[in-house]
Amino acid sequence: MKYSLLTALLVSFLLTGCKPSQKVSRIDPGTTTDLSGKWNDTDARLVAEEMIEDVMTKPWLDQFNRKNQKPPVVIVGRVRNESMEHIDTEVFTKELERSFVNSGEISVVANSEERREIREERLDQQTNASYATTKKMAQELGADFMMIGNISSIVDEAIDSRTLAVFYTVNLEFVNVETNQKVWIGNKKIKKLIERKHYRGLP
Amino acid sequence: MQLQKKHISKYFAKFTFRVSCLVLLGVSILSCRSYVLDDAQFDLRDSFTEGNYQYSEQLLKEFRQKDIYRSKDQVLFNLESGMIYHFSGKYDSSSVFLTKAENEIDENHTKSISRGISAFLTNDNKLAYDGEPYEDVYLNTFKALNYMHLQNWDAALVETRRMTFKMEQLDIKIKGLAEAFAKSDTSSKANWETGKVNIQNSALSHYMAAVLYAKSGNIDGARIEREKLDIALKEQATLSTFRVRPNENFDQLQNPDSYNVLLTGFTGRAPYKVQKDARAFIDDFDDEDDNEFYLKFSFPELKVYPSNVNYVRAVINDSIKTHLNLIEEMDMVATEVYSAKQPVIYARALVRATSKSAGTKLIAGAVRKKNEWLADFLQLLGFISQEATEKADLRGWQTMPGKAWMHIIKLPAGLNTVRLEYIGTQGKTLYFDEFEVDIRPDTELELVESIYAN
Repeated sequence: MKYSLLTALLVSFLLTGCKPSQKVSRIDPGTTTDLSGKWNDTDARLVAEEMIEDVMTKPWLDQFNRKNQKPPVVIVGRVRNESMEHIDTEVFTKELERSFVNSGEISVVANSEERREIREERLDQQTNASYATTKKMAQELGADFMMIGNISSIVDEAIDSRTLAVFYTVNLEFVNVETNQKVWIGNKKIKKLIERKHYRGLP
Repeated sequence: MQLQKKHISKYFAKFTFRVSCLVLLGVSILSCRSYVLDDAQFDLRDSFTEGNYQYSEQLLKEFRQKDIYRSKDQVLFNLESGMIYHFSGKYDSSSVFLTKAENEIDENHTKSISRGISAFLTNDNKLAYDGEPYEDVYLNTFKALNYMHLQNWDAALVETRRMTFKMEQLDIKIKGLAEAFAKSDTSSKANWETGKVNIQNSALSHYMAAVLYAKSGNIDGARIEREKLDIALKEQATLSTFRVRPNENFDQLQNPDSYNVLLTGFTGRAPYKVQKDARAFIDDFDDEDDNEFYLKFSFPELKVYPSNVNYVRAVINDSIKTHLNLIEEMDMVATEVYSAKQPVIYARALVRATSKSAGTKLIAGAVRKKNEWLADFLQLLGFISQEATEKADLRGWQTMPGKAWMHIIKLPAGLNTVRLEYIGTQGKTLYFDEFEVDIRPDTELELVESIYAN
């Protein structure tokens, strides 16, 4: 009896010990998961949502449509990261592109990186593709506007380092490629307060 | 009776001597782990200095397998790995390790207060290493250089901004540290004050940022950084008599078309820590028996490693010679930053040593009423244990260089040879590194980087 109890205990300990310590579960991508306080998917989503809403409802779009009787063509330029974190700006610029294209109200052309690859392919087709399927050169759609922008941040840290305030400001602009006129400027501000429960303990 | 007492006392002395030897041996074995790490650090520093990065990488892996770099030394392991991979040209891997080190420094720095109290009772080597404040700044230098090698200006700028921010926060950081210790010190024996950090700017970060802003087309950003560079150079000129004010007109940094190559040379080594011990027999006047108690405390002191290099020059295509500017004496900045933290280190070592002595004295005092011999024996044990366990934390980033030299030049299109020569005090070339730099029409900036860690 004593031995079987001990064996049972030992086996249960072993089984508990063998249980994987990591648990993975699928969650809704819209769920806010603030783990470190750094820039994350939620921030990118908030920026994208606000910018899409703003750019599609501001007067520049109607004015362009009325004047030109066609949707504006936009190219996504550089969004400078002027913050103190490594931020992948493509996470929200792609979201914007997707909304523009799917709405049918704004046309989007490939950016410089993407264009390089497509141009190489087109050039390659001139020698390798059949005559009927070869795409013509110099038929690219010129952009009316370029979307550029920047992300800046200000970090304010308390002396005991227990509280940290991070302020992000994201600016996106549509600049007329021909005239340099800025027709739309969108801005999204995000402020985070990071409270660390523990003291600084060690030098 | 007198003879009997003498005999017993002789017997006791023999006994305590034997037991003490055994205890001392036991404690020494237990506390020798931190000495093993000290030796490993020396070996790593030596192989890195010789420029044998492959061997350094192998050595680091070996130390890891032997559990010399334990989980509490993870920051160090990542810092050393980051540097070895950087100079081996594995920039992506280097950034991964340096980022890990940066995150761990931040995590370890915000450990709970309970860890702070345990730091008072044991020696610091038992605690998770959370990097010196200057190590936290300079790891971003090498991350920035990694991104520059990978032609990612935006990411490199993020790193220079982090360097600038951390430098500005140094004073606050060290004061915050002293405040945390003062709160957890219930003995009120120490004065938790810090020195003043007189350096709040890194010339190196501003130089790199000026280049990066200029090359990203942000000329105004480059101008601002160039102005800050001037302030930083003036600030750092107070640190060393060695530094000669560079003749170069740094305005060139703002003009991105005037250069396409950034020459970078690192010389010297990081300052190293040495153990200083203080021993005293202190009279306890509150004690009726007027017993003395033994106090030993050990603390680390930072020593600058003297470099043999007088200056660094570049020889372009075997004809043009140009000097590199001494932009930052990382070793001197490190010493300055460390000196501000030194009072906190002293205070903590003192509190720890007095806590240990007081503990021994308290137990021995309680036992003395019943058994004087045992009390003496316990005091002797306390003495031995203080000698064996009190050890300064000598851990530090071994592969960090001592000085940073930089210069911008414009090379003609095509293949160029660039030789970076490290010149000693006698005017002799101590070491050189040769590079082939291919300048294409679309070349924005090429980074030529070398190190002579002597």
